[in-house]
Amino acid sequence: MANTRNQPSAGKFWSWFLPIGRQTGSWAFALNRITALGLTFYLFLHLVVLGRLAQGPGAYDQFLALTKNPFIKFGEWIVVAAVFLHGLNGIRIVLTSFGVGVTRQKQLFFGLMIVAVFFILMFTIRMV
Amino acid sequence: MSQSSIAPYLPTPRPGETAWIWLIKMITGPLLVILLALHLLVNHYVGSSASGLMTYEDVIHYFQNPMIPVIEILFLITVVTHSLIGLRGIVLDMNPSRPILRIVTWFLSSLGILSVAYGIWLALTIASKGG
Repeated sequence: MANTRNQPSAGKFWSWFLPIGRQTGSWAFALNRITALGLTFYLFLHLVVLGRLAQGPGAYDQFLALTKNPFIKFGEWIVVAAVFLHGLNGIRIVLTSFGVGVTRQKQLFFGLMIVAVFFILMFTIRMV
Repeated sequence: MSQSSIAPYLPTPRPGETAWIWLIKMITGPLLVILLALHLLVNHYVGSSASGLMTYEDVIHYFQNPMIPVIEILFLITVVTHSLIGLRGIVLDMNPSRPILRIVTWFLSSLGILSVAYGIWLALTIASKGG
């Protein structure tokens, strides 16, 4: 069978989350996938929680008080970090998918990740 | 540089993800970078008080501008579509059988439609609370 190396299979699924010893591209792939799962989970959690807005000021502001909790704040920080990592890494994926910078993926990736770190730090200062 | 030299670096399509579904993901992605930047800016810099997030009163007031529910609903459709196509892509990487893939597609499509319907109801409910 020709070129089965990159064929998907259920058995290889979990190994993609831990690209130890593999190239930068595998790390970028894992980063994109882990943040994707986290952000999808957060999106639906976010929609459910915002349902409290329909229940009036008491229900919503009671929830807002909860966001002062340091553990919740840390969770929010994780979400913000995931947004920037996924979004900026995603820019690389879109560019290279349309043939832009395909041979400069590593530089693109590290460049965009530096931008992501900058924004994450900016938000960290805002949140603490 | 010739085409063949970059060929190994070009992405290959996922079996089970059509070009159209892929293209929707590629278009919604950059759109979300812009929309999420605005979303974070509004909720953590402009609209919020120095002490934290928008309160109930702030949100109701914010939604009185008729453009806001429209933008929020379009944003919701974009983000739900992108995230569920992405989730389906992750399922595809596990090489599911056709019947399982059909169930997954139905489940994710239903979840998407329900989420958007709920979101539209919520946005309109919030908008109707003021004034």
